[in-house]
Amino acid sequence: MPIAFEKVSYTYAPNTPFAYEALKEVDLAIEMGKISAIIGPTGSGKSTLVQHLNALLLPHKGTVTVLNKVINSQQKTKDLKSLRQHVGLVFQFPEYQLFEETIIKDIMFGPLNFKCTHEEAKNKAYKALSLVGLEFDLAEKSPLDISGGQKRRVAIAGILAIDPEVLVLDEPTAGLDPQGAKAMMELFVKLNKEEHKTILIVTHDMEQVLNYCDNVVVMQDGKILNHQRVSDYFERGNQVNEIHMHLPPILAIKEDLIEKGFKLEGEVTDIDTLAKSIAKELGYE
Amino acid sequence: MNNITLGRYIPMNTVIHNLDPRYKIMAMLTLMVAVFLPSGFYGYSIIACFVFVVLLLAKVKIQMIVRALKPMIFMLSFLLIINILIIRTGYVLFTYSGFTMYSDAIFQTLYITVRLFLMIIISTLLTVSTKPLDMTLGLEDLLSIFKRFGFPAHEVAMMISIALRFIPTLIDETSRIMKAQASRGVDLKEGSFKEKIMAILSLIVPLFVSSFQRAEELADAMEARGYAPSAKRTRYKQLKTTYKDVIAITLVFGLLGGIIWISL
Repeated sequence: MPIAFEKVSYTYAPNTPFAYEALKEVDLAIEMGKISAIIGPTGSGKSTLVQHLNALLLPHKGTVTVLNKVINSQQKTKDLKSLRQHVGLVFQFPEYQLFEETIIKDIMFGPLNFKCTHEEAKNKAYKALSLVGLEFDLAEKSPLDISGGQKRRVAIAGILAIDPEVLVLDEPTAGLDPQGAKAMMELFVKLNKEEHKTILIVTHDMEQVLNYCDNVVVMQDGKILNHQRVSDYFERGNQVNEIHMHLPPILAIKEDLIEKGFKLEGEVTDIDTLAKSIAKELGYE
Repeated sequence: MNNITLGRYIPMNTVIHNLDPRYKIMAMLTLMVAVFLPSGFYGYSIIACFVFVVLLLAKVKIQMIVRALKPMIFMLSFLLIINILIIRTGYVLFTYSGFTMYSDAIFQTLYITVRLFLMIIISTLLTVSTKPLDMTLGLEDLLSIFKRFGFPAHEVAMMISIALRFIPTLIDETSRIMKAQASRGVDLKEGSFKEKIMAILSLIVPLFVSSFQRAEELADAMEARGYAPSAKRTRYKQLKTTYKDVIAITLVFGLLGGIIWISL
């Protein structure tokens, strides 16, 4: 398993009155080549968890193994720079990290830091720009002059240009309009299918989990509550209520119907499958 | 980034915490004056004892003070070296291959060290035991004496409290952007000079952009709620002088008097 957490604990501001244990002996193995969602209430340790993946945070106890690199509390940060080339981490509201004069320069910043030549970096930057669906004539504009959604895409392109095998995104769709969010999620699915990237997404949106992800990791109070296939997770609706989150609307309707005496068969993931199973129950084929 | 302990308010319920901020600020200024008077060994011992007692009363952990003072050691050793090289007064301590060290070099350094330490401890005492908001309230009241000379006391106090309010936000923001850029391969420790400049730029530009943006938003939000700096305002929190404040300020003035008398 190329990504594995073993008894990982992490405490913020240790040995002070403000100490806070964000991760408590976490054991976790992430499946490669899939899209995994990480969900959980605020303060459950999701962001802390993902920052271990490219060694921005080092575990205080336990070890994290990422792509055959072992990270523990004694690790020197110097050895970890190469890891960041293989694990790309996109923070929440990544548009705040843009700083160059032009968009293309900003996207080239990552590859250049990882010792690409200017030419290579430029090629990678244009490739990333087209991956995130931005027009090439934006390339010479200032990253501060474009819309919020475009900024978000530029920031994500900045990570994609590094061409990491694992892509970790902390709430990539927060603050985007529904269409923007949908396009963003479809981009990640495309990256997963076409470029075979392993993708981890921290999210609050259960509908995204249902529609786009393969696996789901549920966190609460710095522990892993659950880790299973998305379809299995939503099989039992009450699991979602355990962490005070809501079912995706489509599944909530399904649950309500079942409660009222409907016998719905087959997997329900969207309006079409729901309609089909209702039709079946009512006798229309 | 969470290790900025110096001067952070620590909520507690002690005599010192409950004093009126106006008197605390005045007491601090008075003590600073006392520290700057050349009162010799006895004078500084008295001030040190007084400050120590206040530290105990405010239940400030001594480790915290020690930790706050640690970064000063580098600066002070630098100062010691300069003093040894420059100061040519006092009696000769020793001569080593043509270089003579004088006693005043040591005394001068000690002098500055003691003054600096006392100053840091005194100001830490104020900030540790006073809520930032109370502090600005107190400051506004104290500065309003100068209002009749056209001094914008309220505006200055508001500016200070906004600045204080955004320090933690900026610290969070800085560490977030640092991490985001580290994910893009920025390395603040290694690399050539040019790379380091780029690394710092990649941190400062986003910080400026978001600070300006935040300032604009805050200004809009304040105006939307009808904030006008020149308007006459009432306060929810009223500062009241109690007998404890009077005792405290009397003690501090007494101390200053004593120090002046010693140093004459």
